[in-house]
Amino acid sequence: MFGKILIANRGEVALRILRACRDLGIKTVVAHSEADRGARFLALADQAVCIGPAPASLSYLNAAAILSAAIVSDAEAIHPGYGFLAGSADFAARVDAAGLSFIGARAETLRLLNDKTRLRGAMKTAGIPCIPGPDTPLADDAKEAQRLAKKLGYPVVIKASVYRGERGMRIVHTDAALLNAITQTRAEALELCGSADVYLEKHLEYPRHIEIQMLADQHGNVLFLGERDCSLQRKGHRLIEEAPAFGIPNRLVARIGERCADACRQIGFHGVGGFRFLVEKGDFHFAGITAGLQFEHPLCEMVTGIDLVQEQIRAAAGEKLRFRQRELVFRGHAIECRINAEDPQSFLPAPGKISALHFPGGPGIRCDSALQAGEAVTAHYDPLVAKIIAFGENREHAIRRLRNALDEARIEGLRTNLALHRNLLNDANIQKGVTNLHYLEKVLAIKRDAQRKS
Amino acid sequence: MDLRKLKKLIDLVEESGIAELEVTEGEEKVRIVKHASAMVPRQKRSESAVQLPPATGADDDLGDGETVKAPMVGTFYRTASPEAAPLVEIGSIVKEGDLLGVIESMKQIHEIESDCDGVVRAILVESGQAVEYGTPLFVIE
Repeated sequence: MFGKILIANRGEVALRILRACRDLGIKTVVAHSEADRGARFLALADQAVCIGPAPASLSYLNAAAILSAAIVSDAEAIHPGYGFLAGSADFAARVDAAGLSFIGARAETLRLLNDKTRLRGAMKTAGIPCIPGPDTPLADDAKEAQRLAKKLGYPVVIKASVYRGERGMRIVHTDAALLNAITQTRAEALELCGSADVYLEKHLEYPRHIEIQMLADQHGNVLFLGERDCSLQRKGHRLIEEAPAFGIPNRLVARIGERCADACRQIGFHGVGGFRFLVEKGDFHFAGITAGLQFEHPLCEMVTGIDLVQEQIRAAAGEKLRFRQRELVFRGHAIECRINAEDPQSFLPAPGKISALHFPGGPGIRCDSALQAGEAVTAHYDPLVAKIIAFGENREHAIRRLRNALDEARIEGLRTNLALHRNLLNDANIQKGVTNLHYLEKVLAIKRDAQRKS
Repeated sequence: MDLRKLKKLIDLVEESGIAELEVTEGEEKVRIVKHASAMVPRQKRSESAVQLPPATGADDDLGDGETVKAPMVGTFYRTASPEAAPLVEIGSIVKEGDLLGVIESMKQIHEIESDCDGVVRAILVESGQAVEYGTPLFVIE
């Protein structure tokens, strides 16, 4: 096991990793930016090292500074947390080259995960269901494209191998619009990734976003730790997540989970990660893999009782998994709210100083936050204040507890989305569990219209 | 010597910084020694003691000079190579751009240059010590 770990992240996830390390008896060094110098939780670390100025590109994304901090503080391993450098194959390779351990997937695995075409091929080999469509880029042949689209059935989507939001991606509903959409997407593809290659896929109209949590050691042992529903999103930002996914039969999850475990063995995936799926009409379609610890990992921890961060560290240190699949017990239901400092109308980040802070408690409630009253949410990083997680015997119980917890929470001095979360938990469809990727935007649009009229 | 004159002398000693006063008038001789009145200067001294630290500077602002801070995390050295003599000593005169020390980071050497002309007033970190981003290294005045 490692003697000392450098935590290359900030805020609640840095504190989460620090807690896991203290629990395991591992010494900690927290690398932080100048803007986070005064963060009070840093006092809990054995060491804190300032690695650069506030902008993330000069600190939390500064691979050389982080490595240097690890070396001068004699850390043996680097935990990247989530975001920042967690998915960077280059960083993982540099950590390796410096003779340190990267607590995450191997560099070559991360390279595969970032290459959509190769990854799709690898997943198909492992028997993971993918979104219908050819694996190769569209040929420059109008008739062939129309034939393929007809075979898949409209709507279809034309995608560049890299796309950002709506750029490099077009949804097509009719045969008449197809060729024009291909031409336009090719032009954007050339601009975005230097290649005019585009791919054709079946478009899923109202999918749910469901992830399967995986845990793998370096000895070929792989577990799937259940699924979670992350469908309640606004412009790609998740607001509420839950585990398990409501209304998806356990047997179906187990079947997909086993295939994900096979895929992990085939691609040599180590540590923790989430297989992302778009699920429509009960069918799973592979959408990607997020390597490393994920923001919503507490959900899995609540329903399995496993400390994912500790298991991730053990796996990175070369230890064998301590459980077998059939020994896992899934219990109850967990829901998580992301409490952000943001304007309730515009959803724009609203940084500010927290004047008073009180987090809820009691049975089944967990609050992960590194902030204390008197500290500030800065404009430099994401505006997260806390994640509030409720565990209940069943979904209804979890919602009830979460609603009570949100009523107990007091965050003063800045604007937050606490009230929005309270409203959403009272939404009839969300209570029933009827949601999809577009549901939240729809609800918010109705609310906005209602406000305008009144 | 009448009492009124005596009182005037005492007041004079009290107001002044004089510790002892001896006055001879004919055969009369008065010697006034300040003991308890030492309260006044002691008070003054303690006031100045409180004012002192800001003048010598807190960590962030050492003296009147420019503080040269570490631009990165790494190991600080006062020499350009292991056997060489220190690049600067306290009292060395430096020009803008002169080499003051180096930081080794990821097996690369980064030079620390003076950003002003002046005299090295303080060297705040020992050679071979690990420094973080922003650690004050030198004061140039």
